[in-house]
Amino acid sequence: MQPIQDKDFDQLFKDRFEDAEITPSRDLWSNIESEIEPKKKRIIPIYWLTAAAVLLIATVGILVYQQQHTAPKQYANHVSPQTNPVTVEHLGRDAVRSTDEPAKNVVSTQVAKIKPITTLVKAAVKEVVKPLEKQKTISAPETQKQETMIAKVEEPKKDIRTKIEEAVFQTKQESVLASNVNEVVADEVIDNNYATDRKGIRNVGDVVNLIVNTMDKRKDKVIQFRTDDDDSSISVVNIGPFRIGKKNRNK
Amino acid sequence: MKLTRSYTINDLMEGCKAGDRKMQELLYRQTSSKMLAVCMRYAKDRMEAEDVLQLGYIKIFQKIKEYRGDGSFEGWIRRVMVNTAIESYRKNLRSLNVVEIDEAYEQPSTGFDFGTLGMQDLMKVIQKLADGYRMVFNMYVIEGYSHKEIGETLGISEGASKSQLSRARAILKEEITKMEGFGYATYTG
Repeated sequence: MQPIQDKDFDQLFKDRFEDAEITPSRDLWSNIESEIEPKKKRIIPIYWLTAAAVLLIATVGILVYQQQHTAPKQYANHVSPQTNPVTVEHLGRDAVRSTDEPAKNVVSTQVAKIKPITTLVKAAVKEVVKPLEKQKTISAPETQKQETMIAKVEEPKKDIRTKIEEAVFQTKQESVLASNVNEVVADEVIDNNYATDRKGIRNVGDVVNLIVNTMDKRKDKVIQFRTDDDDSSISVVNIGPFRIGKKNRNK
Repeated sequence: MKLTRSYTINDLMEGCKAGDRKMQELLYRQTSSKMLAVCMRYAKDRMEAEDVLQLGYIKIFQKIKEYRGDGSFEGWIRRVMVNTAIESYRKNLRSLNVVEIDEAYEQPSTGFDFGTLGMQDLMKVIQKLADGYRMVFNMYVIEGYSHKEIGETLGISEGASKSQLSRARAILKEEITKMEGFGYATYTG
């Protein structure tokens, strides 16, 4: 019997334990299984349910918002041609002397093509009025005061010349086409003239950014931007509390 | 029992990664007795060892996707099991009853008859060790940790790890000598 070295002593233990097996006395598998199982089955449905709920509420919210939003749009189209003539009639005659001929052109195009009417109403200041301004400055020295009113002058020209005819003719067709015209024309006009306005709306409305970031669906984005552009900043303000309120409730 | 042999351990590993419940059970059935032997070395008794075993397998099935194939799969399972045992020791960290045992075993200078010592004998002796000694001895001698790693894992100094190891050896030698002296080297626990 000799004193044993630490190395040999350690090796003895290593060898004995290397392939050691001891069968469990209890059947632990059922315990292990029950510990693994519930987590998989519970967690996934909850995530799916919450995701589905968020989508549902968001889509419903958009639909409701759209319905509230489309009604005022149509009023705006009807009112604008009717109210303008009243205010501008007095000033109209002075301006019309020099601008009779271009006015006829405008009127004739408007009568022929009904869609541009809405575009002219919105984009009138930038597109159509510029030629008119030039002619007035030549003929009428006093037009500086009237320049501010020129934007509205175009329509009274129609009214003076063909007031009765168009009043009957346009109002009927505009009311019919109003819903279609808005969407089709809005894209074109906005792209050309109101691009800056659009960016402004995006920057100002933090809410819009939030919604775009959080909502991945393309439908939502398109719908919201169109509605925003049609009625400018007011629509954005309306969206904010509406959407945010919904989201907070879920989370 | 014999069904398990139709799958290699890598088949079981792939099945477990996919979350296949049957493969998980087969992996458990195939490896649990080896892993219980590991847990027993770290535990005071069989009850404690089986609790650690159960915890360890739950961890294995939860973390199996982290196994990237470096080293053998069985080696990975064993590491998870050892870590679970160490964690459970640290959670129930009792004060190391070093002092009272310290003086009792000083110079065990006798030799051993290796052939007569079975695994069960050595297990019995190891389980008698104070918890701290047992951890250090297992980690250093069987698992091959360095004293530095042991110190970091158990929150003790490197020197403490070294001194506890030598004391653990001394105690074990003394116990084994006693065992042989009483003539029950073939003891079957």
